[in-house]
Amino acid sequence: MLSKKLKILWLTAITCNGNTHSFLNYPHLDIFMDTFEFIYHPSIDSAYTLNDIINKEIACDILIIEGSISTEYIKADAPIVDIINKYASKVQKIVTVGTCASFGGMFRESDYKDTTGLHFDKERPTSLFEHIKEKTISLSGCPVHPDIIANTLYSIEKKRAIELDSLLRPKEFFAYTVHNGCTRNEYFEYKIDNHQFGKKEGCMFYDHGCHAPYTHGSCNKILWNEVNSKTRTGLSCMGCTEPTFPKGDFFHTKKNMGIPQYLPFGVAKRTYLTLAGITKAFHIKRLEEDLFDD
Amino acid sequence: MIKLIEKIEGEAKLNFSFEKGLIDFVEIEFLSTRNIEKILQNKNALDALVITPRVCGICNHAHLMASVQALESCYEELELSNRAKITRELTLNFEIIHNHFKWFYLTIMPLMGYKQYLLKATQPSQLMAKAIATIAGQYPHTSYSIIGGVVSDIGMMDLIKVENYIDKTLKFFEQNLVHAKSDEFLECNNSNKLLSKEGDLPNLVNKIKDNGWSNVGKSYDRFIAFGENSYFKKGKSIKTRLTTNIYIDKVQEASNINSYAKNVLYKERYYEVGPLSRAMINKTPLIKDAHRKYGDSILSRILARVCEIPQLLNHSKKLIKQLDLSEPSYIKPKIDISDITALGSSAIEASRGFSKSDDRIREYSISRTEL
Repeated sequence: MLSKKLKILWLTAITCNGNTHSFLNYPHLDIFMDTFEFIYHPSIDSAYTLNDIINKEIACDILIIEGSISTEYIKADAPIVDIINKYASKVQKIVTVGTCASFGGMFRESDYKDTTGLHFDKERPTSLFEHIKEKTISLSGCPVHPDIIANTLYSIEKKRAIELDSLLRPKEFFAYTVHNGCTRNEYFEYKIDNHQFGKKEGCMFYDHGCHAPYTHGSCNKILWNEVNSKTRTGLSCMGCTEPTFPKGDFFHTKKNMGIPQYLPFGVAKRTYLTLAGITKAFHIKRLEEDLFDD
Repeated sequence: MIKLIEKIEGEAKLNFSFEKGLIDFVEIEFLSTRNIEKILQNKNALDALVITPRVCGICNHAHLMASVQALESCYEELELSNRAKITRELTLNFEIIHNHFKWFYLTIMPLMGYKQYLLKATQPSQLMAKAIATIAGQYPHTSYSIIGGVVSDIGMMDLIKVENYIDKTLKFFEQNLVHAKSDEFLECNNSNKLLSKEGDLPNLVNKIKDNGWSNVGKSYDRFIAFGENSYFKKGKSIKTRLTTNIYIDKVQEASNINSYAKNVLYKERYYEVGPLSRAMINKTPLIKDAHRKYGDSILSRILARVCEIPQLLNHSKKLIKQLDLSEPSYIKPKIDISDITALGSSAIEASRGFSKSDDRIREYSISRTEL
């Protein structure tokens, strides 16, 4: 009897496989595997080999692409571009997982020629796969959160309409900023700018390069591994869901005349300066002390 | 004969050489590279802490630790609290355990003809990922370890949570891998006694024996480990001779014309790295016994890797008891790394081998030696 499960091809290009392993942290894989079947996956056993995928005609409903794409990149003796085109034409949807597959990401800087994401070279739209753009959903992140992968796939399976932003990312996950839900937000709001690494207190935006107020993502809404986030633990957000990732100089806030070069989304410099001026005029003892001080 | 191997986070080809109808030598040809060393060139030195973990989705934490230690070795004087050292060791242990479970259930059991037990791989590995995330923010791909310590300031309640993840993982081990108390398993010094138990590990090892595979997978019978910490010892072992005086600068890397992977040698000789090497150097009784009986075969290698799970879980519990939360997690270096010109290096034990990083601030070299 033919399986009624939705068939997924998980295809990797130039990647560290971080999204593959992030997905293996999805806590409800038992239920997931009742609904979906991988015709090929980098770690999970599948009915077909990579050679089958390349050389035979295998039925497939969803194509997942992980990793940056280059016309030079060869996978099991076949150009990755040909493998993508072969399956892209027959599937219902294409899902890019991770910032590399979406925008080029970390491995855009590797030595392969013209390395980009599927539809974008950073923010710039590319034309190589224009013919399949309307089928594509981009799930950026380095890596992407497993809930975001699984719930997007469920939405496809349930034939629900997914509202996307201009970079093809589902708004339900990417309309937020990583700043939303950070436990350090009070220090940001009142401009307590004396953050030190290794402390529960303080906000990394002012000196330590935190990208959270200008990075789209749900890291502090849908916690990592169900327990935490980088910014909650005291590590700056690196902006890994954005097409500009990796910007570099991750642990320092670039400033012009003492003002952070990148301001929170939608906040004009004048607004920022006015608010900063007001908050700096006050001393809030509770926020200047250690959290556990009496 | 050339065979494509898959599902190893990328693909590789095995080029076999035969002599008298038997495999004499196998060369691994990796088919692609990500050029992480090139990506690191001319970047701010601290960026290595974000970029280097992206070498690998499965041993990213080991690469973070190798990077931070390589950067710290550039300092003549750097203060690091005991709290930071223990915290780093804990999260590295959790990654090693995380990977051992995935390797056993996703790779080795299917290779030996069993079905792939996806959930047996993910259930305990997710617990270890939670333990890392509790301390380091997320898994994979955190950069929480920085020059001078760690960014997090975990509390007692966080540690209780981590201890519970450890206990739950130990329980999984005892209910699935070897049906015995982990203390009893760790005291066992006779591999035949272990094989009389029930569980996925004895079942697998017995199958290897029954099929006459216990001599398969032998290598040079030379072992080396560099990444010294409170559990792993540094040294090399050739048959029963153990030497602790080994030097990271004697590790040589050579480009391979057939593969993107480098050949890595110590004093011009190949050595095995990873769990079996660590066990031989640490003189783990059960693994020494298996080695006496089965040599450096796949059987000994599997036992060594699985044996590290309860060893490292128990050791992590001891480490947690040693943590003094009143110590600082991070001590700011007196000199900023951008004001230093230096060559630093380090080696870290990872799940499958060790990661060596050489950091020249503007150039970067990574040796990732695995089995």
